[in-house]
Amino acid sequence: MWKYILKRIGLALITAFIILSLTFILIKMLPPQRMLTGKLGTRTAFYENEVRLGYLYSSAEKLTDDYVDKLTYEDGHTTYYYKTPVLQQYFSWIRNIVTRWDWGSSEVIMPNVDATVIIGERLWTSMKINIFSVIFSVPIGIALGIWAALKKGKMTDTIISTVVMVLISLPGFVLITFLMLLLCYNNAVLPTQWPNPTDPTGKKVLGYILPVFCLSLGSICGYCRFVRAELCEVMESEYLLLARTKGLTRRQAITRHALRNAMVPIFPSILSEFIGILGGSMILEQLYGIPGIGQLFVRSMNSQDYNVLFVDMAIFTTLGLLAGVLLDMSYGIIDPRIRMGAR
Amino acid sequence: MKKTIKWLSVVIALLMVLTVALAACHPDDPTPGPTDSTEPLIELSDYRSYLLSELASLKGRLEGLDSATTAKVTSAYNAGVTAINAGTDTKTVLKAFNDAKAAIAQSIPLANGIYDYTKLTTEQKTDILGLLEGYGVNTGITGMTLYENGGLVMYNPRITLGTENYIPGYGFGVLAEGSITSDLETEDNAAWKRYYHTYNSQDPGTANYWDANDSEIASFYSYIGAGFYTNFMNETKDGYDWVPELAIDETMTPADEGGNGVTSKSWTFRVRKDVKYSTLGKHTEFNDRQIQMEDYLTPFKALLNGANGLFRGEEMANSTGAGTIAGAKAYFEATKSGSTGINETADFSKVGLKIEEKDGDWWFTVTYTEACTAFYARYYISSGMYMPLPKEFLDTVTVENYLGFNSNKTETPVDNSLSLGAYTLERWDSGEQVVYKKNPNYVYASTKYSIPGIHINILEAAKTDEEAGFKEFLAGKIDSSGIPQTKLTEYASDPRTKHTTGDTTLKLNFNALDQDTWNELFGENGTVTQTPAADTWQCEPALSNSHFRNALSYAIDRNTFAAIRGAVSSVSYLSSAYMSDPENNIAYNLTDAHEKAIAGLLDGTDSGGYSLELARDYFRMALDELEASGAYTRGTKENPTVIELEIAWWNTSMETTYHQYIKQYWEDAFNHDSVSGGCYKLNVKFWCSPTGDPNDAYDRIQSGQFDIGFGAIEGNTLDPLSFMQVMSSDPIISTGFTLNWGADTSDPDSELLVYNGLRWSFDALYTVTQTPSQVVNGKLTGESFVGVGDGSFELDGDNVTAVLTVEKQAEVKLEDVDFYLFGYKTADNDDGYEYVEFSVKEFIQGQPVANADGTEVTYTLSIPVTQFAVFDFAPYLKNVGIDLYASFSIEGKLDTTYLSYVDGWNAGLAFGSVSYTTEETTEDVVATFKALGFPEGTLTAANAQLVGYTKEGDGDPTEFTAEATVTVSGPDEKGVYTITVKIAKADYSKLFGGTIDDDDYSGAQGFTVDITIATGWTITFSAAHAFVSAPAAE
Repeated sequence: MWKYILKRIGLALITAFIILSLTFILIKMLPPQRMLTGKLGTRTAFYENEVRLGYLYSSAEKLTDDYVDKLTYEDGHTTYYYKTPVLQQYFSWIRNIVTRWDWGSSEVIMPNVDATVIIGERLWTSMKINIFSVIFSVPIGIALGIWAALKKGKMTDTIISTVVMVLISLPGFVLITFLMLLLCYNNAVLPTQWPNPTDPTGKKVLGYILPVFCLSLGSICGYCRFVRAELCEVMESEYLLLARTKGLTRRQAITRHALRNAMVPIFPSILSEFIGILGGSMILEQLYGIPGIGQLFVRSMNSQDYNVLFVDMAIFTTLGLLAGVLLDMSYGIIDPRIRMGAR
Repeated sequence: MKKTIKWLSVVIALLMVLTVALAACHPDDPTPGPTDSTEPLIELSDYRSYLLSELASLKGRLEGLDSATTAKVTSAYNAGVTAINAGTDTKTVLKAFNDAKAAIAQSIPLANGIYDYTKLTTEQKTDILGLLEGYGVNTGITGMTLYENGGLVMYNPRITLGTENYIPGYGFGVLAEGSITSDLETEDNAAWKRYYHTYNSQDPGTANYWDANDSEIASFYSYIGAGFYTNFMNETKDGYDWVPELAIDETMTPADEGGNGVTSKSWTFRVRKDVKYSTLGKHTEFNDRQIQMEDYLTPFKALLNGANGLFRGEEMANSTGAGTIAGAKAYFEATKSGSTGINETADFSKVGLKIEEKDGDWWFTVTYTEACTAFYARYYISSGMYMPLPKEFLDTVTVENYLGFNSNKTETPVDNSLSLGAYTLERWDSGEQVVYKKNPNYVYASTKYSIPGIHINILEAAKTDEEAGFKEFLAGKIDSSGIPQTKLTEYASDPRTKHTTGDTTLKLNFNALDQDTWNELFGENGTVTQTPAADTWQCEPALSNSHFRNALSYAIDRNTFAAIRGAVSSVSYLSSAYMSDPENNIAYNLTDAHEKAIAGLLDGTDSGGYSLELARDYFRMALDELEASGAYTRGTKENPTVIELEIAWWNTSMETTYHQYIKQYWEDAFNHDSVSGGCYKLNVKFWCSPTGDPNDAYDRIQSGQFDIGFGAIEGNTLDPLSFMQVMSSDPIISTGFTLNWGADTSDPDSELLVYNGLRWSFDALYTVTQTPSQVVNGKLTGESFVGVGDGSFELDGDNVTAVLTVEKQAEVKLEDVDFYLFGYKTADNDDGYEYVEFSVKEFIQGQPVANADGTEVTYTLSIPVTQFAVFDFAPYLKNVGIDLYASFSIEGKLDTTYLSYVDGWNAGLAFGSVSYTTEETTEDVVATFKALGFPEGTLTAANAQLVGYTKEGDGDPTEFTAEATVTVSGPDEKGVYTITVKIAKADYSKLFGGTIDDDDYSGAQGFTVDITIATGWTITFSAAHAFVSAPAAE
């Protein structure tokens, strides 16, 4: 089993490496930034900065027609700026990570600060919201699912299923926009933005309500549908009928047999759901001003702060892949019949 | 029931008939379109009237003519009026008009001579600015302004503004002169309730202005920075004054010896000794520290230390023209490979920044490369970026971390900053808030900035939601916000709303080139860019017609268009923020010169440049003219001639927010049946970059791949005249920022431009306002007052004897002549190379020798070869040369510095000359040369020059390319041709006369290489004195 786990972790890391490499190369193939307007001194400073960052190199001679820009000075000399070959940038990036675990510093978002430090600081904020979201959504979602399954075909089931169907179609960022307008701007019940560190504790607690609720709602609906479907299937199975015919009460049959069996596919999905909402919180973080890695991802992408972007992406990728490994492992833990690595 | 239906059907049918009848009699259709394809679209009498009006306007603009010229102009004008009235059709009337314009132009003498308009009075410069703008309006190179970015802003009633009337370039004086009268209820921190609350859409992550390449960081820094001078609102609250901040005196004193007292390169002023630094960070030892004299130079030493690689330092070093600090570039280059922080060993004495103690006062002296007035001397040095700083503080926090976080974020900008400004950094919570507290040590702490602090909330949502800030304002979280477009109607008249003017004009730029000119500029062998034949842009002929462009301008209802955006309607090239007289707060857009320039755009319109009648008339005029010239053939109502205009925008969202409006204005105006009877159809298309990068749109504009392109114009609002450079069609003058293509601004015949009774080209008149220049027949000559002629170099024992001829105008008097040896050396860390230069003035031998007419001066230098030893980096050895620095005066009036490099020697070092061996002239030889593209004839002279090399990565060149200019004379074809010879790395040995180490070129004493290009023909490249090496160390 350990061999299997190590193999899966190894494969996950290789996959992460390939994903990150491809991402690096593809992103670096984007056209370089240019400053076509402005004074000569400003443009020189801009391009020389790009040279220092390793994105461009300069030449006094025209090497090819494929230059990013050229600057001609009063004394008549011209400097041409060319894009540094992508693979050259790639190997330099890999070398720094492998030899010094140096993922580089931020260039735009927080100049000079290690990209890993920026991510580390923000990761916890995002994690907190997502953990709270899971804490709320799992029991509520499962409970609603069980309730609906037990009341299958009745009014309660119909209402729950209909509401779930409507809410599951509603993206979190749409919901939060609406709720911000309703509860923050129009009625001042909740903070309009994520509270600052200097705000009182009460306000900070209130600040969690909207994002956690908006992130949870989709999960609650998802769990609810999933649990209802699984439980309904189990409850129609023959072994449950057998349990009832053996004299177990309905409650005993459901709690001892139906729920346990229904939970086998549900528990692993909690892990994947966690990763899913981590990614889904990007826009939500931006709208509510939450200083998390989702917001950071969007900003680093837009501002071309590549070092931060790649660390952020590495976090998302690694978490996703490791969650997959954990997911597989959890099957074996929840259901002993499933043996990992067995041939 | 059936009966009812029957009656209803009848009623409906009648209503339909009535509707059709009413539609057919639409009152908005006063003039039916032409029915005859030969009939002009506009009545000939109307056409004559418009052209006569234009001719009268043109004549009215001519000022400063002497009586003789005035008489000639009047005569030409009268003849023109007669001819226009006599014209029988569009073609003859138009010809008469153009002939009259040409005759008037010919009546006015062209500018000839050396001109220096740099020291004209403000009024005179404003007049020139107006003329240049008028030229741009007439030729279309100003583009078409839509609006300027002013708008409506709301303030919390608890804020008392410094003034209720917005002051361009200054604002409402919220912080400096304003106050806060009550607490902000939504603020939970009791200490911050009276702080001014605002927001920013993102956290810049640093306040390090030194290394900032955008204005956002500068604005975060501005609260803690202090400059030598600053602005405060004037007493009448309608403008602002310049006041000393770290300086003591309001005025600066010219420090040039023998200067004229008005303009000077060097300026000196007293600076404060009594100020103290403030910080709320961990480096408390610097809090309340008294300023030291050397602190004033620390920021400059840090900025100009090339090793620090600071953005603003690089910008300062490479800036050109007015405001450039003398010696900055040399210091920057010399320190590139040195230590970071403050370079203790580098010689700062040659940089034009000094501070000294005299009579108990500290005097700061700044020297610029060009002379300027006191106002501009003060303006150039006033930035808070130059706030003094203790070197010890910089050593403690390091330049890298100054005003920012350290690499592991254990220190914040609060820790790494000191303040002499109005506020001190109090908190910096990444991505959440930045807070400033009033600095009690600030110079004006007791009289200005009564607001106790500033709280900036980071509102990321504002990036995607343009109403986010406004919602925060309405929720009482911030003290001010612009009003979003969707809320304008609701809040425009709210008592909290204030009006602002803008600093940027947003406009449409034209490609008014004809196809031939486009090909010259942008074709396969274009002079601006080179475009593959397949990508040739098909120019829309209509855009080169000035009446067509006028029609487009008149058709836009700017007042409505701007009001929708809460912006300010404008037809002006520059925004309201531009000051023609900044010392007296006179905005250029309020001057007579400007009003004259844009009169043609506003006369007869709704005050915003909109007139549907004029638009349609000008459109008709344009189409008639274009038909007459054969550019278009009139279509029919069923099959109209389509004029297609594509507008290049920045991103997809602009299709709904901008394009649809413009499209509707134009198509509604010109596709109406009354305009051309449906024979022409204007089709306006949308384009934007798939990436949404505005640079992509600019790229298209600058490479001629557009009909019309959207752009924004903003620049130095205190020097609008210098900004006019961007209108030039010469990329050197416009620094590559030409956005409107059409008129050849180097040609005085492109449009009548008259100043001081003389006719000029745009480039010539603009340039003489910036630097003394020579003008011949209204054109810039492009020649320097001082140039370097032939140079010969000879290795003579341990010295290189350089004989250099300096060519100059006879009127030019050379002073302070200095020669600098320049070249490239291997960087100290053996990684790459660096540029070095140093004076070799001490090696000038004897007195310079002038020729008889004083147009040449020859200097002889004997430079020890040891001086060359530093230049050890190949392949840049070829760039070893001599720069000439000199002050010179023309007719005793001018005083400036000129820089040139010795062109001749540059070539001489690499490939000195080329000679030909023509032992026999055979048919084969002739055939060979013909095959190479040379015509039959005699080769008489040639010079060779290294023009480039090919290299891979950071390695050495793999191939050199040399070009020789060959003058051919002969019976059939004459001319100057260029032959290109490539020398592969394998042939290096030929270059250096022997085998040498690939990495060491320093030992080469010279070379000769023979390249046989055909039987019997040999071209010999030789360089006798290249790569002089240092004598071996003993």
